[in-house]
Amino acid sequence: MENQTFILTKKLSTITFVMIAIGLLTLGASYFAGVGLDRIAANLLLNTYYFLAIGLIGLFIVAVHTIAESGWHTSIQRIGEAMSTFIPVAGLLLFLLFVSGGLHLIYDWTHKDHLDEILLKKVAYLNEPFFYIRFLVYFIIWISLAYFIRKNSKQLDQIGDLKYFRKLRIFSAIFVVTLALTSVTSAWDWLMSIDAHWFSTLYGWYVFSSMLASGTAVLIIILFMLKQMGYMDHVNHEHIHDLGKYLFGFSIFWAYLWFSQYMLIWYANIPEETIYFYERHKHFSTIFYVNLILNFLVPFLGLMTRNSKRGSLILLPVALIVFIGHWLDLYQLIMPGAVGGEKAGIGLPEIGITIGYAGLFLFVVFRSLTKAPLVPKNHPFFKESFEYHTQY
Amino acid sequence: MYTSPLREPLIRGNKNYKQVTDDILAPMAGTPSKYWYIGISIAGLGLLFGAWSTYITVFYGIGEWGTNKTVGWAWDITNFVWWVGIGHAGTFISAILLLFRQKWRTSINRSAEAMTLIAVMCAGFFPLIHMGRLLLGFFIFPYPNTRLLWVNFNSPLLWDVFAISTYFLVSLIFWYVGLIPDLGTVRDRAKTKIRKAIYGFLSFGWTGSARHWSRHETVSLILAGLAAPLVLSVHTIVSFDFATSVIPGWHTTIFPPYFVSGAVFSGFAMVLTLMIISRKALNLEDYITVNHIESMNKIIILTGSIVGIAYLTEFFMAWYSGVEFETYAFFNRAFGPYAWAYWIMMTCNVITPQLFWFKKIRRSVLLTFIISIFVNIGMWFERFVIVVTSLHRDYLPSSWTMYRPTIVEVGLYVGTFGLFFTLFLLFIRVFPVIAIAEVKSVLKSSGEKTKTTGHE
Amino acid sequence: MYLNLQEKKQKLPDMNKYITAYYMDEEDLMKGLRQMKAKGLKVSDVLTPFPVHGIDKVLEIPRSRLTRVGFIAGAVGAAVAFGFQAWVFTIDYPLNFGGKPFFSVPSFIPVTFELTVLFAAFAMVIALLITNKLSPGTKPLIHDERCTDDRFLVLVKVDDDSSDESISQIKLTLAEAGAEGILLKA
Repeated sequence: MENQTFILTKKLSTITFVMIAIGLLTLGASYFAGVGLDRIAANLLLNTYYFLAIGLIGLFIVAVHTIAESGWHTSIQRIGEAMSTFIPVAGLLLFLLFVSGGLHLIYDWTHKDHLDEILLKKVAYLNEPFFYIRFLVYFIIWISLAYFIRKNSKQLDQIGDLKYFRKLRIFSAIFVVTLALTSVTSAWDWLMSIDAHWFSTLYGWYVFSSMLASGTAVLIIILFMLKQMGYMDHVNHEHIHDLGKYLFGFSIFWAYLWFSQYMLIWYANIPEETIYFYERHKHFSTIFYVNLILNFLVPFLGLMTRNSKRGSLILLPVALIVFIGHWLDLYQLIMPGAVGGEKAGIGLPEIGITIGYAGLFLFVVFRSLTKAPLVPKNHPFFKESFEYHTQY
Repeated sequence: MYTSPLREPLIRGNKNYKQVTDDILAPMAGTPSKYWYIGISIAGLGLLFGAWSTYITVFYGIGEWGTNKTVGWAWDITNFVWWVGIGHAGTFISAILLLFRQKWRTSINRSAEAMTLIAVMCAGFFPLIHMGRLLLGFFIFPYPNTRLLWVNFNSPLLWDVFAISTYFLVSLIFWYVGLIPDLGTVRDRAKTKIRKAIYGFLSFGWTGSARHWSRHETVSLILAGLAAPLVLSVHTIVSFDFATSVIPGWHTTIFPPYFVSGAVFSGFAMVLTLMIISRKALNLEDYITVNHIESMNKIIILTGSIVGIAYLTEFFMAWYSGVEFETYAFFNRAFGPYAWAYWIMMTCNVITPQLFWFKKIRRSVLLTFIISIFVNIGMWFERFVIVVTSLHRDYLPSSWTMYRPTIVEVGLYVGTFGLFFTLFLLFIRVFPVIAIAEVKSVLKSSGEKTKTTGHE
Repeated sequence: MYLNLQEKKQKLPDMNKYITAYYMDEEDLMKGLRQMKAKGLKVSDVLTPFPVHGIDKVLEIPRSRLTRVGFIAGAVGAAVAFGFQAWVFTIDYPLNFGGKPFFSVPSFIPVTFELTVLFAAFAMVIALLITNKLSPGTKPLIHDERCTDDRFLVLVKVDDDSSDESISQIKLTLAEAGAEGILLKA
């Protein structure tokens, strides 16, 4: 087991800095080219939320496997932990976006002077003070739990005392429960309220499933990146197979929730609900259907065979497609309501700003990977993961 | 493959393979105990009550029930959904836990899957009988007919026909394919010629050939991969019966995953109820250990919490939507004439599963038994609340009315309990209740003497 | 309790001769099989009470093609279900349900999904029974009744024209690999 410590080479950090620079440049260029502040703000929301959610899912994957007493995941545990270090960064960026005027640009319900009768009914929940209080609560919970889980995981590895394992389980359980609640309510706050006249009880879980599939895809991508750089030799085809199964399963689960929400609203045909999809069919129809192809058809058909899930040949491209696909999914959740059919599009601002965020995310993740050995040798289930092969 | 010593053993008593066979085949040998006879007699009485109720319903009509113009569905559909939901645990254990490589499923999957088949039969009875003209029940299937019409493929009620039929058939073959090797074991141990012939017939000539095992494993894995989305789809389609409508309290997008979680929740509770009794009565405590019970309780916390979050979400959206009919529907549930049903549901479904966060309660067989019964009571009331309170007061106040079950409806429900326990008690005598081959395959890694198997 | 096969002359349903030997533990079985493979002994089959991890590789059992049967049957099921519903609803018996279009893809999905699963499952199980030659009427070729209990039986097929010397060689290899109860069965 060599290469236990990740080294952030100058080459790697330079690449991430270049990506961040691209993001900042396109941001500036878009502003000066008159792209429209609401479109810029919507893009910033999209990317901040996307990578925040991916970070949360990274931690969620670690937490769930910890409380399920899974053994095999210990080999890849550090990746999930590293992803979670982006959460405070995203929190800061989101806060800056909101307070610098983004809140008013994106959300109709913040225009207190002209609220129609429907929005007036929701004022008890959709008002700025309560919004910010919830914002703080979410991030306090997420950041502190991410911190404690990471701390106990590192201590378990350094000191080896099983009491840290016990604490790890407790914090993981608390995180899973709180994330179940906060991911739903934060999706309502930041995403669903963009179309504040509309509502769907499945929305929170739908967004969560989308991020779950994407977070898994990102974990896979980072894993293959690390392997390419010569690390994570102990991760064999069996571990990769399990991750591939997750990507397959979560993509199908997302499609199931997508279909449930869509079909039920289509079937009942109630105008105040169907208006949501009418907007998307009218101005965003290509993205609407491409969304399904990238997020369901590609992983479903691509990852059906056993071998496709066991190596990088098919799994890596599929993971990349799913990552892009769920970005598109988030796009059609945000843009129709925040920007509208005429002004929205997929152009330089969208691509450039996303590259910037991806660069920032990778930088934070890679830096975090240097802070702990890649192999949690003292984890009580690690030996199971190291000698891992199964019958199926 | 290495197993960490931190893991609790799944098979106690330092068993070897022969003991495993002996222990599991023991309940099928000899004459049944007196408790078995008492059990099947009580179940038989229930069946009789059900038979009488069926006779009354068929010969005197649906008017013998309490359903009326506004509340068109009540106990009939509540019971249907309740039984289908219970059935989901079996497939969950057989299929989804197989895909997640949870070795503890091996002692309970055979019985749980049998329970599923019986529960689906009990469930299917209700849509059939609530049609009124029972003898024309075959109309629900699409076949070329002289009336020159087809069934309405766009109706969720028809999707149900396909879903329940597929679910029953696929569960049946999944259960049976797993059973074949064990039936070979029973055949080879049979002492009388008749038993040998019967089990020889049922075991399809199984020999244990490695080639056969190889294909068997592949098919089991693919069946699990098919059964997993199937089990999600069945209760999803059942939820579509309600969610595709426009009734407040029924039309809500969260129903599919919420119903599925609720189904797994109640199903595991029923599996626990049955397994806690069976393990004691059939001396299988070494195989269905406290660790198994604890694992099942963890799933109960998980699914119960998901159901709880769904309740909160629905409640919140009822207000947030600003739709006064939606808001009233939920206000009425909590404070209207059926509030007693609502609060039973909330107590049983939201509070009781949370008790399993405490390890002492999770590992207590007695408390688990009690809680499992409460969970099933709660889930029955959940379906009752969804079906009846949403119907009895919807958009038009002039149509508001109350509903009360009649003795006939109660009899039908009791009858299904009779059917359920009769068939389950027969199952115990005729088939091995634990998957013998599967338990043996995890004996080395998870038995009391943990030993590393050789490297490949 | 058990038929004592070592004493009775057994008439086997198929006409081949076999040398049989057993193990009482699957780890010893696997060690023995590897030894036999190294010595070039061709094992026809192994009868076990449960599937043994790794045995497919040692015996060079190819990966089952039943998965392909499942996929094709599932695809057929999907096509049949979707196509039939589309035909019924657009051509043969269109119904107006809430003003929704006749070719209504969302509402065709549930039945399509169910029939996909149904076709795939049944096709695979039937194919399993056919390829394994299992059916209610099949008479099992029982070499040792304890194969379904706690014994792991190794079978080596012996050609009719094998010399006595080659038979003894096989028996010797089996003995060295740790097998017990080595017998020649006609």
